[in-house]
Amino acid sequence: MNAALLRRVLIALAGIALALAVGPFKLVGDYTQFIIASLAFAFIAVLSVNMLAGLCGIWSMGHSAYVAIGAYMAANLTLLGVPVEAIIVASMVTAGLLGFILGLSAGRFSVLYFGLLTMALALVATEVIGRWTAVTGGDDGKKVGRAISIFLPQPIESKNAVVICVLLATAVYLIGDAVHGSRFGRRWLAVKGQRIASMAMGLRPHVENATAFGLSAALASLSGIGMAFAIAFIDPVAFSLDTSVTMIVGTVVGGIGSSVGALLGAGFITAVPELARDARAVSDFVYGGAMIAVLLWLGQGIVPAIRSKVREVRGRHRPKTDGQRKAVDAAAISALVSQLLPAAQQTLSLKHVSVQFSGLRALDDVSFDLPAGKAVGLIGPNGAGKTTLLNVLSGFYQPLKETSVTLGDVNVLATSPSGRAALGIGRTFQHAELFPELTIREMLVTAAGLAQPLRKRHNIGLNAPDAVADLILDGLDLRPYGDSLPAELPFGVQKVADIGRVLAIGASVVSMDEPFSGLDEQECAELRAILRGMRSAGVSILIIDHAVQEVLDICDNVVVLDFGRLLASGEPEMIRRSPEVRKAYFGSMQLAGEPAPAKTTEHANG
Amino acid sequence: MGDLPAVIISGLVSGSTYALLALGIVIIFRSTDTVNFAIGDIGTLAVFVAGTLMSAGLPVAAGLLAAIAAAGLIGVVTERALIRPLGHGKNLLFVALVITIGLGLLIHAGIFVGWGTRPRPFPVLVGGTVSVFGIALAWNKILAAAIALAAMAGVAWFFKKTPFGIAMRATADDPGAARMIGINAGRVSAIAWFVGCGMAAIAAFFLAADSALSPNLTLSALFRAFAGVFLGGLTSMSGAVIGGFVIGILDNVAGRYVSASFRDTIVFAVIVLVLFIRPSGVLGAGRKERV
Repeated sequence: MNAALLRRVLIALAGIALALAVGPFKLVGDYTQFIIASLAFAFIAVLSVNMLAGLCGIWSMGHSAYVAIGAYMAANLTLLGVPVEAIIVASMVTAGLLGFILGLSAGRFSVLYFGLLTMALALVATEVIGRWTAVTGGDDGKKVGRAISIFLPQPIESKNAVVICVLLATAVYLIGDAVHGSRFGRRWLAVKGQRIASMAMGLRPHVENATAFGLSAALASLSGIGMAFAIAFIDPVAFSLDTSVTMIVGTVVGGIGSSVGALLGAGFITAVPELARDARAVSDFVYGGAMIAVLLWLGQGIVPAIRSKVREVRGRHRPKTDGQRKAVDAAAISALVSQLLPAAQQTLSLKHVSVQFSGLRALDDVSFDLPAGKAVGLIGPNGAGKTTLLNVLSGFYQPLKETSVTLGDVNVLATSPSGRAALGIGRTFQHAELFPELTIREMLVTAAGLAQPLRKRHNIGLNAPDAVADLILDGLDLRPYGDSLPAELPFGVQKVADIGRVLAIGASVVSMDEPFSGLDEQECAELRAILRGMRSAGVSILIIDHAVQEVLDICDNVVVLDFGRLLASGEPEMIRRSPEVRKAYFGSMQLAGEPAPAKTTEHANG
Repeated sequence: MGDLPAVIISGLVSGSTYALLALGIVIIFRSTDTVNFAIGDIGTLAVFVAGTLMSAGLPVAAGLLAAIAAAGLIGVVTERALIRPLGHGKNLLFVALVITIGLGLLIHAGIFVGWGTRPRPFPVLVGGTVSVFGIALAWNKILAAAIALAAMAGVAWFFKKTPFGIAMRATADDPGAARMIGINAGRVSAIAWFVGCGMAAIAAFFLAADSALSPNLTLSALFRAFAGVFLGGLTSMSGAVIGGFVIGILDNVAGRYVSASFRDTIVFAVIVLVLFIRPSGVLGAGRKERV
């Protein structure tokens, strides 16, 4: 039994033991029982907000509305004699669907706007609750009937409703724990950290956000169910904007992205008003003060602050390496790549690519081919349109309508940015753009998981995400860095990891944005070997770089852009000799016929 | 629909309060990337202070100035003590917002402790009503709207004509470049917070004159001001003002012709629709994401 499973079993047993102890066995007094029930439903609410903030970077100030859905469904459905289990399912489905719909819009707005929008949701909910008296009882509140369970012969006494709260909280804790370690959690962290890179990997950010929001809303509704049964009466005050703010207080104080943090935060927001029962102002003082203090001095909340301190002290994540990279050899890379992905079969054909930015033609009728398994270099001075072209290929810029980009007979432009990974098109980034909150291994596993259908389609035997990730870690000499976060790695290693990611998504047509920039001589040599290995395994590569010598040395064909137009294209030797290219690109600089050392190629930047 | 002009005029009058608050929110956001949730509470606290001074004999006009000064100072201190230490970064947007939520709770609690929970009387500035298109409008409200307009004109003049106002706009557009040409970023932030919170104090002052002094004075106006900011875009000062007025009219029209019970819902439904069509607001500049 592994550690995570053991932990989950223990948590489940502890939850059940607590539920039995405070419920049927009556080991505690009424007041303690009530506090435990309150803590349980506060925990559920805080965790739902916490999970969303931690994994997606979405802050919701409207979760009181979803809590209300659970509470009023419990109140109304018990009157109709519906068992508790059915109420749980019904309210999770209702809240989850509404959350999914709202979540779809999260991608359209900045974090800030979306936060304010969810605040509007809380206000609207308050108004609807106040007016829709048939269902809510309006401002007078609503009585909740006794809970009926399909497993029990008679209704649950209201004194034993605490059992429902504790069991729900335990289930939610386990769900939260599972989501954090699951592929969903990792995908959400990827979208949160690098939206563009996550799309290049095949993720659809708005769908990921909506799924997360839906789950979070469904969990929040459970808090309402717990509250309804524990108190047996619903007071609409419980769903005001203040409640949403309190949930944020709990999230901030405990710490985002942590179930333990959510428990701590829930304890805080349950204990403070209880201890200051006769003076509401005191609670507000403590809430306000604690929030400010935590944000100013701990930044991310109590639990994550402790955790990152521990991580720092333990130093387990520190790369176990003497800093020397193993020499990489092209033949080994080629063998590795052949195991990971299919050789490219089709030509990527760009025709009449034109892009206009309000009056400025960034690209004007550029056409060239990237034949299967070849390397094509794209060079040109600053402002020539190289990066614009790459962004057309990745789907982030909309070209003019005469443009066509096809891979075999597939129209690439008709495919969304997220859909291009499934066509086998991938890219790397000038600044690596790794996901800040995923370790290198987690990133590779996530990418490989997304590529499973592609590998299956191409009958690649090796398809288990873990196995793919391990193969890449070993093949690219990334093993010592597997458990490190990107920020802990040297830049050169980050760029290798970025290449690892594009191999993990199984892309056989890869564009690379300035792969050589920022690398030292040894890293350049390593990259050269990797590129040669990839090409000999049949990957089509489009290299965009200022390191002209490197590009001319590696590529089968070179395309030169100048001011958005195609200046020349042909074999490297021809480009090297073309007087036009020399004039436009190198100015008066005389280029040696022999490959120059990488150091001097840097001057081509100027 | 015969009373439509009257409904629109009373919408414009209440819209002037929302516009003031919205303008304050935008001025502060442009200078320090902070959505100041505490702006309403800061204005309210300042008006409580002014109210106390006025009951001790301070004339009304001086009371208004005292409220502006008090709110401005609280704003400056807030920026210095709570916002500046956070530094800069895109993830800090929400952190700063949550900090101001915390500050709002603190101020709210402070008002409870200092003045109690019961609403306190506030002097009526000018008595009587005037009939406009057949509806009675209190002079009080008209005066409030006039002063709000004057304050907004003053702000417009400050940002358009004075060198420091222009420097502040430059800082909002490009903080790095502004620093390079020698604009003192700290002073820009301080002034923005002073002016922004001062606007809120004017709004709160007239809200109090309209009813009474209560800790939740600005609550519902602030929500509508935020709606106005959504509509106009967080970065546009003129957008915020127009947005505030539009919300005032929308709110009154919806309340009169659609349903008096679902005013918030209708207003926000319209906002959400608008935002879906134009996510950065009608007049706000779209913030491009880095590719």
